[in-house]
Amino acid sequence: MSFKCPACKKEWPNSKQVARHMFGTGDKAHRGWIESQGYSYIELLLAQTTEPGNKSYEVLAELIEKAQDKL
Amino acid sequence: MSHAKYSVINTHVHNIDGVAKVTGRATYTFDVNLPGMLHGKILRSPHPHAKILSIDTTRALELPGVKIVVTGKDTLGIKQGIWRRYEELCDEQVLPLEKVRYIGEPVAAVAAITEEIAEAALDLIDVEYEVLPAVYEPLEAIKKEAPTIHEGVERNVNVTRHIEWGDVDEAFEEADYIREDWFKCSGQAHMCMETRAAVSSFTPEGKLTCWASTQSAYYTQGLLAGVLGLREGDVRVLAPYVGGGFGGKFELDAAMFCSAVMSMKLFKPVKVVFSREEDFIASKRRTPMFYYVRTGIKKDGTFCARESRMFSNGGAYTGMGATALYLSGFFHSFPYKWRGYRYDGYRVYTNTLPSTSMRGFGAPQAMFCSEQQIDWICADLGLDPFEVRRKNGHTEGYEVPGQAFIASCGLEQCINEIEKWVKSKGKLPANRGIGISSCGFMSGGIFNWFDSPYSFSSAVVTINVDGTVELHVGCQDIGQGSNTTMAIIAAETLGVKVEDIRVHSGDTAHCPADLGAWGSRQTLMAGNAVKMACEDAKKQLLEFAYAEMGINIVYDLDIKDRWVHIVARPERGLKYEELVKKALRAKDGQRIMGRGYYTPHRKGMISPAYSYMMQAVDAEVDPETGKIKIHEVMTAHDCGQPINQLGLIGQLEGAASMALGYAYLEDMPMEDGKLMNPNLVDYKVIKAPEMPEAGIIEIDTYEPEGPYGAKEAGEGLTNPTAAALGNAIYSAMGIQMKELPITPERVLKALREKKEQEAQKK
Repeated sequence: MSFKCPACKKEWPNSKQVARHMFGTGDKAHRGWIESQGYSYIELLLAQTTEPGNKSYEVLAELIEKAQDKL
Repeated sequence: MSHAKYSVINTHVHNIDGVAKVTGRATYTFDVNLPGMLHGKILRSPHPHAKILSIDTTRALELPGVKIVVTGKDTLGIKQGIWRRYEELCDEQVLPLEKVRYIGEPVAAVAAITEEIAEAALDLIDVEYEVLPAVYEPLEAIKKEAPTIHEGVERNVNVTRHIEWGDVDEAFEEADYIREDWFKCSGQAHMCMETRAAVSSFTPEGKLTCWASTQSAYYTQGLLAGVLGLREGDVRVLAPYVGGGFGGKFELDAAMFCSAVMSMKLFKPVKVVFSREEDFIASKRRTPMFYYVRTGIKKDGTFCARESRMFSNGGAYTGMGATALYLSGFFHSFPYKWRGYRYDGYRVYTNTLPSTSMRGFGAPQAMFCSEQQIDWICADLGLDPFEVRRKNGHTEGYEVPGQAFIASCGLEQCINEIEKWVKSKGKLPANRGIGISSCGFMSGGIFNWFDSPYSFSSAVVTINVDGTVELHVGCQDIGQGSNTTMAIIAAETLGVKVEDIRVHSGDTAHCPADLGAWGSRQTLMAGNAVKMACEDAKKQLLEFAYAEMGINIVYDLDIKDRWVHIVARPERGLKYEELVKKALRAKDGQRIMGRGYYTPHRKGMISPAYSYMMQAVDAEVDPETGKIKIHEVMTAHDCGQPINQLGLIGQLEGAASMALGYAYLEDMPMEDGKLMNPNLVDYKVIKAPEMPEAGIIEIDTYEPEGPYGAKEAGEGLTNPTAAALGNAIYSAMGIQMKELPITPERVLKALREKKEQEAQKK
C-alpha cells in the first residue's frame, strides 16, 4: 500500500515518509493542510528537533493515514 | 581500462597560467582599468536589525568628484538568490529598501573619480534608522518571543531538510550501546587572496560588461540580468583570473550589483573592490552548526542506527545555505552503511552575517561530530577504530538508500594504508597523539536550483591549421588549476601535448555555459564535456586519416604524441600536423570543431561519483598552555584516476591548511552581531612557517562516470581534518573536544574538567 500526500498527492510507501516530505516541503499548501487539521506546522517542526523521540512525525503520519480515504 | 597508459594524464603538469601569474601579467578584476572609470564604495549598516526610515544623499552628492549615490530606491527592488527555482528562498535585496538585517549590510553606494573621494562621501550620507531588537543564535531565534527577521517566516526557520532511510527506531532497538553528544561547529571566513571585486561597464546600446571575481561567470550573468531587468544575452561576464573562491563567490555580491547599477545610470565604467575588512564583515561565511548526534552500535562494532538533529546559523539571508543544510546531513552518514538513518536539519535566520557554502559544503562540520563520536564509542566499548570503520564502510556497488549509488570506492584501501602509517610511527612521546578520520565527498552536485536550461558543462574544441587547439570551456578557473586539468584531458584525448592547447574560459560571450566551480564538479563534469568534444574532433580527423592512409578498415587508428598511427602497427602513420593541414583542405577550409556536453542523468540525488579518504593527524598538546602543535598530516586518498599529480598535491596542501585553520585557529567571534576580528591580525590563519608536513598516499581506483576514471580531489580533503585533530587530542590527553575551533582555552577547560571528574571518582 502506498500513501498519498494530502497536499500535493505525491506517493510514498509509508506514512512517515509522507510526513517527512510535508515537513521538508513546507510551502503554503503543505503548511495549510497541517494547520487545517488543528496543528501548527512550525510547532510540530520545532518539537521534532527540540524534544526526544520522533513524536511530531508520528502525529503527522497518523493524520496522513486517517486522511487517505478522502484523497 | 583502469590501468591504461596515458601520455599526459597523471603526470606532473605545471599550471598553464603559472608564468602569467608569477610575472604579474595575469589580469584579475582588481587590475582592470578602463578609460573614464569611476571608483565605487559601499555604505554599510552599523545595526544588526533596523528599519531604514530615510536616506539623505544631498551632502554626499555635493562633494566635488562624486558622480552618483544610489540606494535601494534606485534599483528594481528585486529579491534575489541563487535558488532561482524557489521564490521563497530568493530573499535578499542587495541594496535593501526597508530594513537591514546584519551589521555590514549594504545601504547605499557611491561612485566618484577616486576611491578616496568615494570613501569620504560615505560619511556624508545621512541614514535615519529605527533600531529593532535583534537575535544572533539559532536556538534563540526559534523561540516564540524572538524578533521576526523576515516577515511571514515563523520562528525564523528559513529552510528545513530531512533525510531518513530504514526503520531507525527498530535499528536502535538492536543496538547494544547508544551514545548521544552535542557539538558546536563555528563559522569560517573564505579568506580568498582576492577580495570581492567587480568592474561594470554599461553602454548606450544597452549592453553590460562586468569583470567579476566569481566562481561562475554564467551564474553571475543570470543573476545580474535578473536584478537589473536585462536579458541574459545583454550581460557579458568576464572572469579571466580569479584569486580564490572556496564556495563564497558564486552568488551575486554587492561589488557586482552596485557597480552595475551605478554604471547603468552613468554610462561609465565603475569599479568596486571590497577592502579586507568588508570581505570579512559583508561577504558570507562557512555555516556555524549545532549538531545533536545519537548513534547505536552492536558490541561487535556493527553500526545499527544514527539520528541527528542540526540547527545552523543561517545569518540574515538564504544564500547557498539550503544546499549546505542537506549536504551536511547526507555526508553525516558517510562513509558508512547504516540500517537506519535519520537527519533533521534546520536553517535559522539570525541578525548576523549570512552563512553559505564553503569548501566541504557542510561536510567538515558533519565529520567533526561523526568521526569523533565513532572514536569515543570505540573507546567506550574497547573496539579498534580502524576495524570498526573497515567493517561499516562503503564498498563498491553499495547504494545509500534512496540517495546515491557508489560505483567506485577505495575506502578500505585508504583505511589499510593509514593504519600501516600510524603503526609505523611507533610509540609517541607524552601529550602527543595521532587521530584518524575517514570520509567521502561528491564529484559535483546533481542540483539545478538555478534552473539552468543549459547542460551542466559544455566545451567546444577547434583545431587550427598548425595543429594547435583552441579549447573553449565554461568551467571556471579560480586558482585551483581547472584550466590545466581541462588542457590535460584535451591533450590526452586528442593525442597532442599540453602546450598545443589554449584554454579559453571565464567569458560568457565566447565560452559555452557551465554551472561553474562549486561542489567539486569541474573535473568530472567539465572534464567529461571536454573529453567528448575532443573525441568528436578526433573522430573527424581519423575519418579523414582512414581515407588518406588507405588502410584496411579492420585496423584501428589513434593519435598519440602528435603521431597518427595504426594501433596494431604504431610505426605506420603520419604526423598529426600534416593530417590537420590535409583535413582542413579536404573540408573546404573549415576548421575541425568538436562539441561536448555533460549533464548527469540517473545518478541518484546527490552526485554522479564519490571520492573517499582517510586522514591521520599527528598533534601535540602543551598541558600548561593548551597550545596545539601539528607535526604531520597524512591522507590516503581515492580520487579515482588522478589527472594531474602536481595539482593533486597542491589541493591536498591547500585543503590541509584551510581545514587545520578551521580546526584550531580560525574563529569569527561576534558581540551583538558585530564581528570582532575582521582583519588578518586578529583572524588567525595558518602561515607558511606553521604549515606541517602534509603527505598523500594515492589509492588507485577507476570511476566509470569520470573522464579517464577521475573523480573529486580537493574539496573533500577539508572534511576529515578537524575530526582527526580532535581524535589526536583525545588520544594524547583523553579529552573530548565538542566545540570548534579547538582553541587553547577550550583545551585547558577540558583538561580542568577531566581532572575534576577524576577527582570525583576517587
